[in-house]
Amino acid sequence: MIRFTLAQLIAHRVRLALTVIAVILGVAFVTGSLVLNDTAQRLFDEQFRTASAGADLTVRTATAFDSGMGVEVERDPLPAHVVEQVAAIDGVDAAIAVAKGSVRLEDREVDLGAAQLTSWIPQPVGAFPLRDGTAPVEAGEVALDVASAGTLGLRIGDRLTLVADQRIEVRIVGLVGFGDAEGPPVGTAVIASLGTAQEALGLGAAVSELMITTDLAVNELQPVLGEVLGASYQVATAQDLATAGAEAAASNLEMLQIVLVAMSVAALLMGSFLIGNTFAIVVSQRTRELAMVRATGATGAQILRSVLGEALVVGMAASGIGTMVGIGGAIGLRALARGAGVTIPDGDLVVEPRTVLVAVCVGVIVTLAAAIGPARRAAAISPVAAMRQSAAEARLVSRARTTVGAALLTVGAVLAAMPSFGADMPMLAVGLGIALAGVILIAPVVIRPMVRAIGAPLSRMGVAVRLAQESAERAPRRTSATVMALALGLALMSFAAIVGASVKTATGEQYREVIQADVVVESAGQEMLGGVHAAVFDEVLGVDEVGAATRLKYGHWRDAGMMSALSAVDPDAIEEVAVIRMIDGEIADLATPGGVVIAQRVAEERDLGVGDELTMTFARTGEKALPVVGVVADTTARALQTDFLVSLDTYAQHFTEDMDASVFVVGAAGVSADRLAAALERELVDHPTVQVRDQAAVIAGRTQIIDQLFGLVTVLLAFALLIAVLGIANTLALSIVERTREIGLLRALGMSRAHVGAMVQSEAVFVAATAVVIGTVLGAAAAFAAVGALGTIAPLPLVVPLDQLAWLGAAVAFAGLLAAFAPARRAAALPALEAISHD
Amino acid sequence: MNPSTGPAAPAPIIVAERLVKTYGTGAAAVHALDHATLSIAAGRFTAVMGPSGSGKSTMMHVMAGLDSVDSGTVRLGGVELTELSERERTVLRRRKVGFVFQSFNLVPSLTAAENIELPLRLAGKRADSAWVDELVTTLGIQERLSHRPNELSGGQQQRVAVARALASRPEVVFADEPTGALDSRAGRALLAFLQRASREFGQTIVMVTHDPVAAGFADRVEFLADGQVVDGFDHPTAQAVLDRMARFDAVAEEVAA
Ligand SMILES: Nc1ncnc2c1ncn2[C@@H]1O[C@H](COP(=O)(O)OP(=O)(O)O)[C@@H](O)[C@H]1O
Ligand SMILES: [Mg+2]
Repeated sequence: MIRFTLAQLIAHRVRLALTVIAVILGVAFVTGSLVLNDTAQRLFDEQFRTASAGADLTVRTATAFDSGMGVEVERDPLPAHVVEQVAAIDGVDAAIAVAKGSVRLEDREVDLGAAQLTSWIPQPVGAFPLRDGTAPVEAGEVALDVASAGTLGLRIGDRLTLVADQRIEVRIVGLVGFGDAEGPPVGTAVIASLGTAQEALGLGAAVSELMITTDLAVNELQPVLGEVLGASYQVATAQDLATAGAEAAASNLEMLQIVLVAMSVAALLMGSFLIGNTFAIVVSQRTRELAMVRATGATGAQILRSVLGEALVVGMAASGIGTMVGIGGAIGLRALARGAGVTIPDGDLVVEPRTVLVAVCVGVIVTLAAAIGPARRAAAISPVAAMRQSAAEARLVSRARTTVGAALLTVGAVLAAMPSFGADMPMLAVGLGIALAGVILIAPVVIRPMVRAIGAPLSRMGVAVRLAQESAERAPRRTSATVMALALGLALMSFAAIVGASVKTATGEQYREVIQADVVVESAGQEMLGGVHAAVFDEVLGVDEVGAATRLKYGHWRDAGMMSALSAVDPDAIEEVAVIRMIDGEIADLATPGGVVIAQRVAEERDLGVGDELTMTFARTGEKALPVVGVVADTTARALQTDFLVSLDTYAQHFTEDMDASVFVVGAAGVSADRLAAALERELVDHPTVQVRDQAAVIAGRTQIIDQLFGLVTVLLAFALLIAVLGIANTLALSIVERTREIGLLRALGMSRAHVGAMVQSEAVFVAATAVVIGTVLGAAAAFAAVGALGTIAPLPLVVPLDQLAWLGAAVAFAGLLAAFAPARRAAALPALEAISHD
Repeated sequence: MNPSTGPAAPAPIIVAERLVKTYGTGAAAVHALDHATLSIAAGRFTAVMGPSGSGKSTMMHVMAGLDSVDSGTVRLGGVELTELSERERTVLRRRKVGFVFQSFNLVPSLTAAENIELPLRLAGKRADSAWVDELVTTLGIQERLSHRPNELSGGQQQRVAVARALASRPEVVFADEPTGALDSRAGRALLAFLQRASREFGQTIVMVTHDPVAAGFADRVEFLADGQVVDGFDHPTAQAVLDRMARFDAVAEEVAA
């Protein structure tokens, strides 16, 4: 039987090629995601390990938590006396003061972007060994990492400006590495003397942290230091620091991971349709042959094993290739994700044995699962089938399948709709999954009337179209698998398009409704906590054209174990630039020291009202109970970005961050927005990192992430759709082989080659058009449920980007037409005689 | 061996001269047609007989414009087929020719009625419904018109095929072993109908067969052997055909089998 299996594989290698490609794609996605993730994790680990490897212990000010939403928390600097105090402790070999923080580099007014400034620490404690030139030990001297110097085109001797708290003119005197590497995996490293770094960062005599070396065992010295310094200071081992840092950085990748997992699942699901289809067709074409084998004594179980054996070999071979493609693809995936705005380190790829194992198992299991239906049908072929003429698939789809499918669809739809009426979010995913399973089951039944409906107006065009329609209807299971592979990809794209458009529109609308500012000053980058230097606000106030201005800050806090964010506003000035719709209380009450205003949604969810208290944990100041002084409308809260508002004074008590997220500006009476913007731009010319934005630009900035995610999803899905379109070509090619005699007969009766080609093309159009309809409807339905569910969090009207959907549909239909090109030519070239004169 | 055209033949509608068709080359070459010359009289029912492999089907395909030849000429209704392109032959087939094959005559996804109208629709013409009704009634398939081929018996399928071949009133109907897949009763009914079509409607019919009984329904019989037309006579009966075949040793064996 093994020989039989192998012989079959070789005989059908061309037909199985698509199966192989489909498996490769799915497995490549899985591998790529895992490799990318492991690589990023490893590089982050190494980065933070290298950074802290030289010190045995590090002393910093204590915080309640280390990082929030991928950003390490801002810490208070260590006062100068702590440095002396620590140096005096017995067992401390050396206590090296470190100043570090982020700066911007400028080269004669040209913005070179952000860099991480660190004070010079000689080897072996420091992580940046000198590679060239001299160490930056004098004031006004810096060293740059070798890699960045290369990309920025800077050399020893060049002059630069460091822009942070102060603008400091510096000269490059040396180049450094990072551990064994040419530079840190992410960003640019600038090294300066301690004094220069302190001056640039505005630290005065204070330092960021202390790196300590000791001859004692680390776990011996750690408690001693802890006792001497007390609870306001944290004494961390190199290991602790590396772990904390890597965790913070890696949480940035969560979104990407979710996208990649979703894409892997989609690619595998779409692939499984095509795999199942190919096996079904191969089996149906072999009916006579299999029946003969059965007649000569093979059992049904042997046939089953033989077909599954074929699937196993195909699955393993394709998974192997897919794993390699995925490893290579990880490089491309990384570039793509970076294009979508995800911070991912550069470096050698990490391929864990686990990755290969998971990828191959997934590929083999999917292939086997997809082949099991056709294999069972093959096993059920009776020996007498050898005598029968036609091997065409039964037109009927089993009642049970339809019933179960309809039931699943109903249950799934109800579950998916529940979050719109207050049920938990995960119900949406569960419901959509179940509904999808239902759709897959009933698809063969639905597709016939759909093909008929689409075909009705077209079949007047001629008998070729009519025959194409018949052909699509003839094998409902096969047609539906081809359609569903395509429809699924399209559904995901439409889903992303509709949800994206809805969120974007809602964001824009809420913003326009609430924010009355003519222009907003924001950082050119998309920093998490905003990147507008505090001095900007003062400069803005000094501009004549400005009528009123107020600043907005963001901060992270811990909300019962979950990271959350808050916005800080000036309660006296905010209403000059924004329409604050209060449900209860007054925004001015925020001036009451320490109060918080919460969004209506939060108030209802937690049954909080004015007079109650909200417990908030801040990194610097720990757990605090803040009185709730007001409840604000959800739209207002959304426009100000978070559900929690505090006053700038309250913010200052709990945060040291002195960057503003935005400065809202209203023009003086009679000053147009354009004139105001021009005036501000002139004033802020020496702040290259901030931008003066009008309303549209701010909204675009806030919705940029949606566009980026949509772009990423679209590119990834495009690969999957490509395979689905190849699926059309494959199904057509196979159905042509199956219909050789019929085509021959038609040719004998006077159907021209062009007609035969048109017939095959029309069938592809039917399949693609049906897929477009089903895909768009499914995507829209799912998006409807998702938007409904999200609408319970914040008002979210459904927006259907018809033009985008139309483009998607047209592209898929056109791709379907292209896919049919080769099969149509092959069918047209079929010699009439061959078909009719041979049995 | 003298190619025979028979006495008192009406004007020929097909004239095939010195047709040569060879498959393969060198020692493996098979001469499917080896200077075969034949003419078919208009309005008559001609049977082409010969042992298996003698070139009957090839001859028919060439005369019907389905296949090309290496040399020789074929005129169908005044048109020289060997000078036509593949496209022109396709158009000619749907205008002037009807086919009945041994099996797989019908498009499985179309109903009987749709199959009958297929050549007309391919040509973009409307069916002459009175004529189609008459055909369908005469063939006894009026009850089966909305059925698909797999719901019809072999005999019914062949009768649908005959109705289709005649529906467009082609100049010639070619039938390749049309009764080969039928039992003898259904076969005889079909042959009787072909005979009637030729006698009553003046339909030219060329039927390839190796069955002397089938040939007995024809107005004339032609004999092929080794790619050549070797004999032929008018008004054959099954017995006369058998007698004539007995003269060819190879043929005698074939009939006994
Ligand atoms: N496509 C082909 N390729 C090779 N040989 C062929 C082909 N078609 C027919 N032949 C050969 O030509 C000869 C005549 O075939 P055919 O016309 O089908 O005979 P008949 O119909 O009388 O049985 C046979 O020897 C057959 O093997
Ligand atoms: Mg033959």
